[in-house]
Amino acid sequence: MSTTVATPEAPPRDSAPAPVTQKRSLVPKFLRNPWGQPRFLVAITWTYIAWALVPVLIAILFSFNAGKSRSVWQGFSIRWWWGDPTQSIFHDPEYTQALVHSLLLAGLDMLIATPLGVLLAIGLSRWRGRGSGVSNSLMLIPLVTPEIVMAVSLLVVFTQLAIFPFSAIHLGTTAQVIGQVTFSLSYVVVIIRSRLVSIGPQYEEAARDLGATSWGAIRLVLLPLLMPAILASMLIVFALSIDDFVVTQYMSSTASTTTIPMYLYSNARGGTSTPALNALATILVSTTLLAIAIGYLVYSVLGRRTASSRGGASALRELSGMEA
Amino acid sequence: MPGDVQLRALTKQYDETLAVDAIDASINAGEFFSLLGPSGCGKTTTLRMIAGFVRPTSGEILLDGVDVAQVPPHNRNVHTVFQNYALFPHLNVFDNIAFGLRRQKVGKAEVRRRVEESLELVELGGMGARRPQQLSGGQQQRVALARALVLRPAVLLLDEPLGALDAKIRKQLRLELKALQEEVGITFVFVTHDQEEALSMSDRVAVMSKGRIEQIGTPAEVYESPATVFVADFLGVSNLMDAEAIPEPEHADDRCTVAVGDFRLRAAAGDVAASGPVKVVARPERVELLEHGAERANCLPGMVERTVYVGASVQVMVRLATGAQLQASIANTGHADGYQQGTPVCVHIPEDALRILGDSGAAPPPAPAPAPEIAGASA
Repeated sequence: MSTTVATPEAPPRDSAPAPVTQKRSLVPKFLRNPWGQPRFLVAITWTYIAWALVPVLIAILFSFNAGKSRSVWQGFSIRWWWGDPTQSIFHDPEYTQALVHSLLLAGLDMLIATPLGVLLAIGLSRWRGRGSGVSNSLMLIPLVTPEIVMAVSLLVVFTQLAIFPFSAIHLGTTAQVIGQVTFSLSYVVVIIRSRLVSIGPQYEEAARDLGATSWGAIRLVLLPLLMPAILASMLIVFALSIDDFVVTQYMSSTASTTTIPMYLYSNARGGTSTPALNALATILVSTTLLAIAIGYLVYSVLGRRTASSRGGASALRELSGMEA
Repeated sequence: MPGDVQLRALTKQYDETLAVDAIDASINAGEFFSLLGPSGCGKTTTLRMIAGFVRPTSGEILLDGVDVAQVPPHNRNVHTVFQNYALFPHLNVFDNIAFGLRRQKVGKAEVRRRVEESLELVELGGMGARRPQQLSGGQQQRVALARALVLRPAVLLLDEPLGALDAKIRKQLRLELKALQEEVGITFVFVTHDQEEALSMSDRVAVMSKGRIEQIGTPAEVYESPATVFVADFLGVSNLMDAEAIPEPEHADDRCTVAVGDFRLRAAAGDVAASGPVKVVARPERVELLEHGAERANCLPGMVERTVYVGASVQVMVRLATGAQLQASIANTGHADGYQQGTPVCVHIPEDALRILGDSGAAPPPAPAPAPEIAGASA
């Protein structure tokens, strides 16, 4: 700071210290105060949040439009949700079909990817030696591979390769589930592994010391301790699956394998769609948010209850890191 | 009585490092036996080999005469109290203690009876429904003890069980742990780096360094008669000095003259038959400070360099005329303030307090003296 106070080498002992004089500045005073609230930062943050959320909120709002328009407000109604006997999402077979298929895929993905990912994570965490380091890093590749690349590769493998396991897989629900499991597995492995690291080997050792077999130690001690992470991964897999468009689209076959995102994609630009489309989008947004919220709660509440003192807080951070 | 442990040439080699180097030890049934040493000395690896978590590279672990070196941990009648207790956080205290009994398929009523009994033993009666996280550190430690003791092990292994507690509880638990061990009569193998802990509780102590056992003995033996420079140095402040041993043929059995710098002292403890360069050691509490110029045998002139007040005693650092520094621990009788910095004093080391350490091959951490054999031969 530029002040004109006497230099520290020769403080005038007899006189009172000169008052600190501040240079005039163009920056308003409340921004210059180093102890004040970071108001500028707060303003930027809220601007961004509004920018990102307002369009979604408008889309949600228009699902309650009384008229057919998706851009001109004509009053409140729930006809596109339920009221309209032919065009509401729960009466139009195309919408309900997409909804049901999305939920089916999400359920299957969740039930297949989670147990596989848990076993894989436990296996990887105790594999020491040649190849373990490499495989640990390779596990993360599906997280950073562009989804379109994975989708196109899977399409080629499932449709062109005439070698056994691939030739048996046909496009449609089976291929969609396999594709979704393929990319969501990595998320499960990462969540479970970080939890395993914070649990450490000591509980399993204690169980074995007290007479449990290796499998007994996993079943009686490790799995209960992992339970919050397992539930959280299930819900994250669910959210990933519900949201997924690229892989699901490439692996699809007939109209019966259309999901909500696929339906939204193919109809959003068409002039014939009604606010029921917005209602469908609203369902997509809310199920995803709900799944993540439940996952977060389960992880933090159960995690805090069962984890050792150091587990709880860091586990929360791991999970929030995951969703980003 | 079961609980006798024999370690024979027990070795653990990790890729490059020899964590435990062919140690031999014989732990008697019902004994409180400590493995004491600095971190990385192999004491925890030894304990984990006895528990079964680490598979020995070679050697035998005889538990009541049977080699268990290759038996998995869940089949050994040996139980462990872990450093951080490792109480299962998803189970309450009762279920934690019952865990091992249930693995042995003990009947329900019997489980209840034995768990209650062991809770009483560690003075935690009525705490069965609590979660481990709701207990204090000291209580958690007792649950960990109860969880292992309820299985009536032949040997109980304790891996620095007091390490996570604060100093006051620690001292109290030391006494309790020793009393408990005497009550149950089980062999305790206790790993610690805290010499006070090892000395105050153990029947016998094994001092370890760099994967080897330096000395095994009662607390009094290892403290008062350290066999090696390492043991002398690790167990408290030891006032090590370089000296030259000059044998006295007529008293070869009980004493010897040592030259410390230009001064000659009598030493009557340790390796009195030694000759040539040796190390001599004197415990600070045996070192006496006399007025400067006092005419006494076994005296060295010096000057007070620093005084540290520690409450029950005053530690006086004296710089000797030979250049070495010596620490004297003077009981605080209320008159210990006479040792101002710079006061010339006379340091008296009684001859039975001056111990000669024959170099037993274990080189001390500071620069080793020239090879004693050659120097001795040329003298």
